Amino acid sequence: MTSYDYYSIAYGALATVSLSLISIVLGVPLGLGLALVRWSRLPVFNQLTIAYVSIVRTCPTVTLALLIFYALPVVGISMEPVSAGILTLTLSTAAFNTEIWRNALVNFPQDQYDAALSFGMNRNLRFRRIILPHISRTSLPALVSEMTLQVKSTPAVAIIGIVEITRAAIRVGARTYEPLPPFIFALVLYSLIVLAFVKTQRAVERRFAPPGDH
Amino acid sequence: MTDDQTTMSQLAVQQRPVILEVSGLSKSFGANPVLRDISLKIHKAETVCLLGPSGSGKSTLLRCMNWLEQPDGGTVFLAGQPLGARPGGGLRMRDKELAAMRTRIGMVFQHFALWPHMSVLQNVMEAPVHVLKQTKDEARATAVSLLQRVGLAGKMDSFPARLSGGQKQRVAIARALAMKPEVILFDEPTSSLDPELVGEVLAVMQDLVREGMTMVVVTHEMGFARDVASRVVFMDGGHIVESGPPDQFFEAPQTERARQFLMRYAARNN
Amino acid sequence: MNEFALVWEHRDMILIGFQNTLLIVVLGTVGSLVLGVLLTIPLMSRRRGPALIGTIYVDAMRCVPFLLFAYLLYFALPSLGLDFDNWWTGVVALILYNGAYMAELFRGAWANLPKELIEAGQAYGFTGWVLLRRIILPPVIFAAIPLVGNQLIQIVKDSAFLTIIAVAELTHEATSLQTTYFVPFASFLAVVFLYWLTCLSIESTVGYANRLAEVRR
Ligand SMILES: Nc1ncnc2c1ncn2[C@@H]1O[C@H](COP(=O)(O)OP(=O)(O)O)[C@@H](O)[C@H]1O
Ligand SMILES: [Mg+2]
Repeated sequence: MTSYDYYSIAYGALATVSLSLISIVLGVPLGLGLALVRWSRLPVFNQLTIAYVSIVRTCPTVTLALLIFYALPVVGISMEPVSAGILTLTLSTAAFNTEIWRNALVNFPQDQYDAALSFGMNRNLRFRRIILPHISRTSLPALVSEMTLQVKSTPAVAIIGIVEITRAAIRVGARTYEPLPPFIFALVLYSLIVLAFVKTQRAVERRFAPPGDH
Repeated sequence: MTDDQTTMSQLAVQQRPVILEVSGLSKSFGANPVLRDISLKIHKAETVCLLGPSGSGKSTLLRCMNWLEQPDGGTVFLAGQPLGARPGGGLRMRDKELAAMRTRIGMVFQHFALWPHMSVLQNVMEAPVHVLKQTKDEARATAVSLLQRVGLAGKMDSFPARLSGGQKQRVAIARALAMKPEVILFDEPTSSLDPELVGEVLAVMQDLVREGMTMVVVTHEMGFARDVASRVVFMDGGHIVESGPPDQFFEAPQTERARQFLMRYAARNN
Repeated sequence: MNEFALVWEHRDMILIGFQNTLLIVVLGTVGSLVLGVLLTIPLMSRRRGPALIGTIYVDAMRCVPFLLFAYLLYFALPSLGLDFDNWWTGVVALILYNGAYMAELFRGAWANLPKELIEAGQAYGFTGWVLLRRIILPPVIFAAIPLVGNQLIQIVKDSAFLTIIAVAELTHEATSLQTTYFVPFASFLAVVFLYWLTCLSIESTVGYANRLAEVRR
């Protein structure tokens, strides 16, 4: 392997991580929005969200990517691979995030809510000043843990031709006729990235562990 | 009982064989010395109640007696045989040997420690079948009769999660008896029970005393100790501070520390 | 939409893929549960060496994306002289990977077991393998059931990655159906539906097992 090969795999790793991060940045607030739809029991939208979460949660990321990339054009929505990849990853992580946020909302302590009401806060203010800070804290460990899983499933988008770490390694292997070294390098490199997430996850878990739990 | 009779029965006890002996036992957790040079002999058919304030080392002593806790120094003897280590310390016994000796010592835990994945009957049969290698039929027959004896014949197929605390502790006692142990160690067997359930467990233990079981009981039930114990051992700060017949201990404690301990108890219970 | 009619006409392809996926998932489940239990033993060992090796293996798997790991085995097994076809390579990858996750679940359940429960076993003369099999492992497994359920869903989802190394599983068959007849919408939708059904059945089975375990915890 030449230094260019190493570089191209590292570049692929960067592409993968960028895709992950974009989907996380989009997926966390989307999850919150959908959790609010569930929480407020908006008719129709509530049922749609339930269906979306149930189906996407159980759908392999590879399959979802194929569906979005190949099937959506049939109904008139066609996308570049990269946009399709981001949409796939975002929809997939948002399904899990919806459940995490909803869980936090359901467990929001009633007395804090009543206190906010008694101070005459309006709905918007109540949410921004009282509920959101609280549920952000309680959801954080689960959200970070989902981010780690998300980073690990991102290579799935290789299936629709995005040149990320997997494809970069395949290309190098095909050129050098030695497929193993580029994969070992890719694996080590990517593991280090995931390790960073895992370490963050453990730190967050320790910092935000519920009382009495250690 | 007159003083003379007490002394007579004490003498009679002393002539019985020693079942369990600890000699020069010491144990520290890190820099915290918990047992300091403890020596104690338990004679056959004796009921020794270990009393003492919380943190005085009672549980640790009990757990050293069957080597659930490994002592730092000293020796434990079961019917004259050293347990856990060769005498003079050092050389640890092999796990199998230690396990074989442990089967001769029953233990009843404060929080019952029933095996939650087994029914009541299975809990009682488990060690006889899988450790003592009894046949299932033999073990079942023993288990059924023991469960009848502790008043739980109707609960044989229930799982521990479905029992009250008092019922759990009675199963735990039946489980101990099923091994036909030479001595049973009780670590605060009634401390985690609701007050109204304490009586049923103490009643079962009283039966055992009457039948001549050898028992070491860590307890805060002063009434039980006074009525049932053949000897009271009072511990504080990792030492045995005082040891004697219950009448003497409760009526005329010899040491200041024992007096204070009893006064605190009396104050709390009035 | 006659896309759906076409897929229905060629449903045998989808069904072969579905069958393969189910078989792969069953083997992956059984294998990773067994591996998980076996790995838990060194993880909880008081001896430093086995515990360290176990932890390194589990942590390594938890840092690796499944796709890269499957590729690695795909290229590495032949050079180790192990002549597995793609199908078995995929199954082995699923087992080695998810076994580590199962082990971590069991380790957590074991660490949370009340200490007295194991001590009662030791006090009654249990040691070694019998202590493990009779006293420790059953409550560990009962406690881990809900999390094991989540991991089973993960096995189903991981199995779809195997399409990339050309294992004829569900997603792979849907892809060939769509490239042959150009029916992307119907074929992928059908497949998503089948994954959904599979996971729902797993979840309800696990839920049932969990209710049975409830009284034994
Ligand atoms: N496993 C342990 N590790 C560290 N310290 C312990 C441990 N077990 C008991 N101790 C300490 O030893 C002392 C005696 O405890 P214990 O024998 O449980 O007392 P008792 O049963 O009389 O209340 C206490 O200070 C306790 O904190
Ligand atoms: Mg104690």
